[in-house]
Amino acid sequence: MPKMLVPYPENCTGCRFCEMACTIYHEGVVNHATARLQVHRRNVKLDFPSVCTHCVSCGEDCCVLHCPVEAIKHENGRVFVNQDECTACGTCVEVCPFGVMRMEEKAFNCDLCGGDPTCVKFCPMKAIVYEEPKPEQYEKVKKLLGEE
Amino acid sequence: MKMKGYTGKILKVDLTSEKWHIKTFDEKHVRNVLGGQGFCVDIVYRGVPANTNPLGPENVLAIAGGAFDGFPVGTGGKVAFAAKGPATNTLVESIMGGSIGPELRHAGYDALEITGKADGPAYIFIEDDKIEINDASDLWGKDTRVVPETLKKRHGWDVKVACIGVAGEKLSNMACIDCDDRQSGRGGLGAVMGSKNLKAIVVRGTRDLVPHDPKKLLELALHYQKIYEAAPSFVEDTKYGTGEFLGWVNKDRGVFPTRNWQESVYNDRQQIDPYYWAPKYVTKNKACFACTKPCGKLFEVKSGKFAGVAIDGIEYETLYSLGGTCGNPDVESVARANELCDLLGLDTISCGVTIGFAMELYQRGIISKEEAGMDLSWTNASDAVPKMVEMIGNRRGLGDVLASGVKVAAKKIGKGAERYAIHTKGLEPPAYDVRGMKGHGLAYMTSTRGACHLRAGFYAPELVGKFWKWEGIDRFSAAGKGPMVATMENFMCVYDSVGLCKFSRGFYLIAKLPEVLEAISGLKFTEDELLEIGERIHNMKGAFNYREGVTRKDWLLPPRILEDPITDGVSKGSKISVDEMNLMLDDYMKARGWTPDGQPTKEKLKELGIE
Repeated sequence: MPKMLVPYPENCTGCRFCEMACTIYHEGVVNHATARLQVHRRNVKLDFPSVCTHCVSCGEDCCVLHCPVEAIKHENGRVFVNQDECTACGTCVEVCPFGVMRMEEKAFNCDLCGGDPTCVKFCPMKAIVYEEPKPEQYEKVKKLLGEE
Repeated sequence: MKMKGYTGKILKVDLTSEKWHIKTFDEKHVRNVLGGQGFCVDIVYRGVPANTNPLGPENVLAIAGGAFDGFPVGTGGKVAFAAKGPATNTLVESIMGGSIGPELRHAGYDALEITGKADGPAYIFIEDDKIEINDASDLWGKDTRVVPETLKKRHGWDVKVACIGVAGEKLSNMACIDCDDRQSGRGGLGAVMGSKNLKAIVVRGTRDLVPHDPKKLLELALHYQKIYEAAPSFVEDTKYGTGEFLGWVNKDRGVFPTRNWQESVYNDRQQIDPYYWAPKYVTKNKACFACTKPCGKLFEVKSGKFAGVAIDGIEYETLYSLGGTCGNPDVESVARANELCDLLGLDTISCGVTIGFAMELYQRGIISKEEAGMDLSWTNASDAVPKMVEMIGNRRGLGDVLASGVKVAAKKIGKGAERYAIHTKGLEPPAYDVRGMKGHGLAYMTSTRGACHLRAGFYAPELVGKFWKWEGIDRFSAAGKGPMVATMENFMCVYDSVGLCKFSRGFYLIAKLPEVLEAISGLKFTEDELLEIGERIHNMKGAFNYREGVTRKDWLLPPRILEDPITDGVSKGSKISVDEMNLMLDDYMKARGWTPDGQPTKEKLKELGIE
C-alpha cells in the first residue's frame, strides 16, 4: 500500500501552518482558499485537518467517479486532474467529501509534493502523518465535516 | 522595487455615517512603524483628538496584523488592537493570537480603523472588497462562544470573528476582545468596542499574500521549526503551558503574589501548578495562528461541581489572578472562573486582581458580607471567585463597582480601601511581585498601558539573571535598570509590530528578524533600524499619554510595593523604596531623552521623525 496523508484530529492545534506551507511550496504565495488541505477551527474543543485521501476513503463521493468529462484520473494510487481535459465545471469541488478539491482556472488537488509532503514536514504535532492509509482516521474527519 | 508582503491598504470604517474608505501607504510608512502594534499606535496617535472620552464615538479602535502575519513564520501570527483605553486614559494596545489579523490581510488590509458609533447593536462584515455594517440585535447580550458560532453558521465556518462579551457591552474597564478563544485582554478595549455598539468584526479574505522570496521563507520556517523542536521550552510549553514555571517563581524566586500581594509565596499552590493539573485535565494542545510550539491547553473538567468546563488555558497569569492572588487553591474553580471571564469577555488579570482586592477589603472589615452579597473570606475562595466573576461581568451588586477595576472601585468604596488597591496608571498588575524584582517594578511604572509584564518583559532578565546582551543582573538592585527597561520596551515594540510571540524572543532576539522581514517584504533592515522603530513607537505612546495629562505622578507604584516588604520566602524583606523608585525613574527618563516628568522632548520626537 503506498503511503498517504493521514489526519489525526486529536493532535491538531489549529495553527494552520500546514496550509500556509502548502501554498508557499506550490504557488509561492499564501492563500488558505487554495491550500490542498484545510484546517478547521470550529470551537474551543475542536480543530482538525482535512486532507486529500487519493481515492482511499471517498466512497460514492469520489471526484474520479463524478467528473463528467473523466478528466480526473486515479493512477498508481494517486488522483490528479488532467488540466487539458478539465472544463472547470466544479462538480469535483462539490462532491469532494473532504472539501479539498480546489478550483482556480482549472480544478486541482493534493500532489503529495512528489512524495515528500510539505504539510507533514511543518506539522510539529503529528496531526498529519505520511504513512499507510488509516480508514478509521478518514472516517473521523468525515464525521466532523458532516457536522458543519 | 515594489514592497512585497504588505497589502499597502488601511480600511477605515465609520460606524456613525456607515461609510468606509481605503487609505494606501508605501514603504516609508513601513520603515516608520513596521506593522501590527506600530500601525495601530500610529493610527491612534494621529486619529484620537486630545481629551477624547475613551468611551465616546471620537475614540478610534485600530486593528492590525504584524508584518509576519499570514506568512509561515513560527509564532508570528499575532494581531494588535489599540485605542485610548478607559482604564488608564492612555494609549492602550493589546496583542492576541487570534486569526483575525492574517485574515484581514487576506481580505486586502494591513489595518482596520474604526471610528464613530453605530445607532444600534452592529457587526462589521468584511469579505475582500465587500464591506457591510449589519444588525447585531440578536447577538447583543450573548457570550463570546455563542457569537462566533452564530456568525459562522450565517457566513460560513471559515470566517474569522472577533467579538466582545456582555462585559464589553456594559463598558467594563476590564472588558476584553475575543477571537478564537484568545483574548486582547488588557486595558478595556472590549469596552471601546461596546461603546461603539460594535459587537463583532467578521472577516473572510480570499486574496493571495505574496512574499518577496517564497523559497527562502520556507527554508527559514523549517530552520526555526527545528530550533523550536530542539529547545527544552518546546517540550515544557507543550506539556504544561505558560504556567510551567509557576513553582519556580513561587518557591525559588519568592515573587508569586498571593492574597492580594499580602504574601509572595503561595503555600497552597499544589493544585494550581500545571505539573499537577496538566496530566489530569488537559485533553488537547491548542495554538495561536501560525504557532508551531503550542502553549495553549484544552482544559476540561469532566465531573464534579464544575463539570463541563472547557477552556483554552489555564495561563500562568490566570493561575495567579484567579488562583494565587484570590487565595483560591481549587484548580477547577480557577478553570470555571477563567471560563466565565472568557464567556463574559473579561480580562482574567484585572478581574482576578480586583476580586483579590475585594477579598482583602472583606478581611479588613471594609466590605461587609451584606455589601459583598456573599462570604468573601479567603477560605471561601473556591465558591466566591467564580460567583464574583459573574457579578462583575453582569455588573450586579458589588460587581458593578468592581467592574471598573481597583483604582476606581477603591475611590468609590472609600474607608481607606485605596491603601490596598494595587495598580499603576489604573491597570491591575500581572503575576510578578516587583518588590523582589526592582527593574520589573520600573517596567510596571513605565508601561504605557499601566502595570504590564510584557511591555518590557523585564521579568525574564531579572528572574534568570541574564538576557540578550546582559549578564549578572541583580533583581534586588535598582541600579542601572532605567536604560535596560527602556531598551527592552523598544525591543518588545518590534515584536508586537512584526507580530511575533514574545515567547520566541529568546530564539529570534532582534538579530534574526531582518532576514525574515526581507524574505517577506524584500525590505532590508538593520538591527539598529528595527530598535529605532521600536523606540519611535514607544515615544508616540509616551507623547500621547503626556498630552492626556498622564505624567510621572500617575506612574508611581502603589503603597504596598513601597511600604510593605515581602513577608515570606526567599525574597523576604525586599521592597522598592521611594528613593529607589525615583532613582530608577530618573535613570529611565534620562535614557529615553524625556523630561523628569515623563514628557518626550521636542528634540527626541524630532530625532525620531515624529510630528
